[in-house]
Amino acid sequence: MGQLSSHLASRLGQALLASFGVLTIVFFIMRLSGDPTLLLVPEGATVEQINQLRHQLGFDRPLGLQFLSYLGDLARFDLGQSLVQRAPVLGIVAERIPYTVALAAGALVVALGIGIPAGIAMALWRGSLLERALSGFVLAGQSLPTFWSGILLILLFGVTLGWLPTSGADSLSALVMPSIALGAVTMSSFARMTRIAVLDELQSSYVTAARARGQSRLQAVRRHVLRNAAIPVVTIAALEVGNLLAGAVIVESVFAWPGIGQLAIQSIQSRDFLVVQAVVLFVSLVYVLTNLAADLAYAAIDPRIRAAR
Amino acid sequence: MRRSAGLILALSIALSAPAHAQTKDSLVVDLPGDVATMDPQIQWDTDSYSVYRNIFDNLLTRDTAGKIVPQVATAWRYTNDTTIVFDIRSDILFHDGSKLTPEDVVFSVKRITTPEFKSPQLSQFDQIIAAEVSGPSQVTLHTKTPYPALLAQLVKLSIIPKAYVEKVGDTAFNQQVIGSGPFKLKSWQRGVQTNLEANDAYWRGKPTFKTVTFRAVPDGATRLADLRTGRADLTRGLTPDDAVAMKSERGLKVQSVATERVAYLFVNALFGPTKDVRVRQAIAMAIDRDTLINALQQGYAKPVDIVLTPANFGYVTDIKAWPFDPARARALIKSAGAEGATVPFLTSPVYDRRLNEAVQQMLDDVGLKMTITVVDQPTYLKRRLGQPEESGSMSQGRWSCACQDADGVIFPLFRSGSAWSKFTNATFDAEVDAARATLDETKRMAHYHKAFEILHDEVPGIGLFQDEAIYLMKPNLQWQPTANEAFFVYDMKWAN
Repeated sequence: MGQLSSHLASRLGQALLASFGVLTIVFFIMRLSGDPTLLLVPEGATVEQINQLRHQLGFDRPLGLQFLSYLGDLARFDLGQSLVQRAPVLGIVAERIPYTVALAAGALVVALGIGIPAGIAMALWRGSLLERALSGFVLAGQSLPTFWSGILLILLFGVTLGWLPTSGADSLSALVMPSIALGAVTMSSFARMTRIAVLDELQSSYVTAARARGQSRLQAVRRHVLRNAAIPVVTIAALEVGNLLAGAVIVESVFAWPGIGQLAIQSIQSRDFLVVQAVVLFVSLVYVLTNLAADLAYAAIDPRIRAAR
Repeated sequence: MRRSAGLILALSIALSAPAHAQTKDSLVVDLPGDVATMDPQIQWDTDSYSVYRNIFDNLLTRDTAGKIVPQVATAWRYTNDTTIVFDIRSDILFHDGSKLTPEDVVFSVKRITTPEFKSPQLSQFDQIIAAEVSGPSQVTLHTKTPYPALLAQLVKLSIIPKAYVEKVGDTAFNQQVIGSGPFKLKSWQRGVQTNLEANDAYWRGKPTFKTVTFRAVPDGATRLADLRTGRADLTRGLTPDDAVAMKSERGLKVQSVATERVAYLFVNALFGPTKDVRVRQAIAMAIDRDTLINALQQGYAKPVDIVLTPANFGYVTDIKAWPFDPARARALIKSAGAEGATVPFLTSPVYDRRLNEAVQQMLDDVGLKMTITVVDQPTYLKRRLGQPEESGSMSQGRWSCACQDADGVIFPLFRSGSAWSKFTNATFDAEVDAARATLDETKRMAHYHKAFEILHDEVPGIGLFQDEAIYLMKPNLQWQPTANEAFFVYDMKWAN
């Protein structure tokens, strides 16, 4: 137990360090490519007026100084005020988080619900017509860019068939299409990974032993194979959370889903520095923490890993 | 914890009623972006003011013909060149029932002109140096110098309630604004939508719509899908290609209006190959305006001969653009010894990429080698407003001062010393200076005429066309869009 908590502490430390590194890079890159003053002033403002606003907003201070004062605020858990919206950054970001969580959850349901059964089927009926059909499906899920598949979904299910709302976040049905668009790529990863893992395990001697005891192939898969095949799939799942957050940037814009991804685009375009930094901080923390969670999950799934610790 | 909050939210949005369009007394509008601030004195971007200007009254407004007419002020008169007196209506109530007074007008002016308030709109109002209540229903404003664009700027001054703003503070006001306009703010879900409800006690009469919903839908294709499925009744910001595609769509109507926004090419007169006036003139003759309008704008544009639109004061009709004449252009470039010269074209993704490429082709045809550099918008602005050496030889722009006056266009674009200007001409400077120092419209027109003559000969910029704003709406929505791209729902209604 002590070993586990020291492992946890060191991983948490690494997580914070990684997040800090990302934040530092973003802080400087954003500022080196121009500040928002020019985007805020109306066309035709004079040089003096532009400089005056820049001074009032504090962008004429040395970069190092701006960084230190930002870190100082951060240490007090103060994320600052949005320049564009003139509202606390914490509130702006926090309002968007539930939407992205809901979308990511929807996408995971799609990815797991379709990807894992598809992967198992592809392994069990290897070489069959079913496998070929499924691999075509998986390939499509992986290769269609979401900004395009999103529009196709909208045209088919929203405009032509009229089954689902074309945009917005005002009902559960509005979550369906964005979840499919976002979950498609992840679904393909799960399907491929599951297929390989199940194929590997099917060749193990314990499967032969189980079959020898009179279990059917499906019974053997359900009772023994799936648990063993789960380890690589869990690893993928943790990595896929990062992909989901990245994909959300596009999917949320296409479907007008008001999550973190859409906020990221808007705040980058308007150079709303503090909001961008808060989004980056949140995303990097989520990414690092899910990897940590996956690490801990191995232990739960595989007693050998527990014992090794 | 966050996860459970998310589930609760997902559940609550599942249970809340969907916003269906098409009820007779409601209107649903898709905008490309969310409102940045509800406080009308902080942001002047189209998505924000499309919403908040329905909540507030302005000191003055424009009629559909573009003429400045009374709103909160019933009448105004200059007592001298720098002092103007406004009579204020006494029958206007804010949404909390309090009366709109001259004190509120003075407060609105003073708040936006206080540098510490950090309003990005300060530059539109900073010619006002003092504002005072000068009678029971009278306000007097003083400007630094005679300022002919003052009334045009005051069209954008929303009147806010002094007592309420002082009581709740700026941050809370921005969240829960109160105005005196035809609609009240009911709810604002950041990034999602804004719901307004009718102010039945509105002084100009009860609004037609009981509720108005503004949704933030960033993707153009999705906005079109929303209109086609009836999820929204009206959207703005269509590209000419969208408009052509939607024209054949039954059950929808495309409506466009020529705006005060002028599309132009900037030509750097201070640095690079375009420093030579012959090269600039040759470029002017190399540009085929009609092709740009027909092929790229699908006809949704009107050609202009100068860098100004007819919707602006100061527009002159008798100065003609350089004719499209590639042969003469080629000869002129040869005589300037600029054959094969590299012309760097600076741009950002905000601007129509196809126009860049069309211009590149046109310059290539007359013997110049145009190279296109695409950078992001803040970088573009930084370089374009920087030194002549870093702003490239050319770029395209779509300029609107939201004031419908030449002073807001050619002064910042070409007056030496202005950040945008990469041009120096003492006579031009004197003319535009003189035009902004007098209130006499005849004299101002004469100055602008001379100024445009100089711009024609010197070519620090090339006027291309008057841009059109394109809207897509239900066919039974009646509304006349205006040149200043105002978005007053009060002026819209359903036909029977």
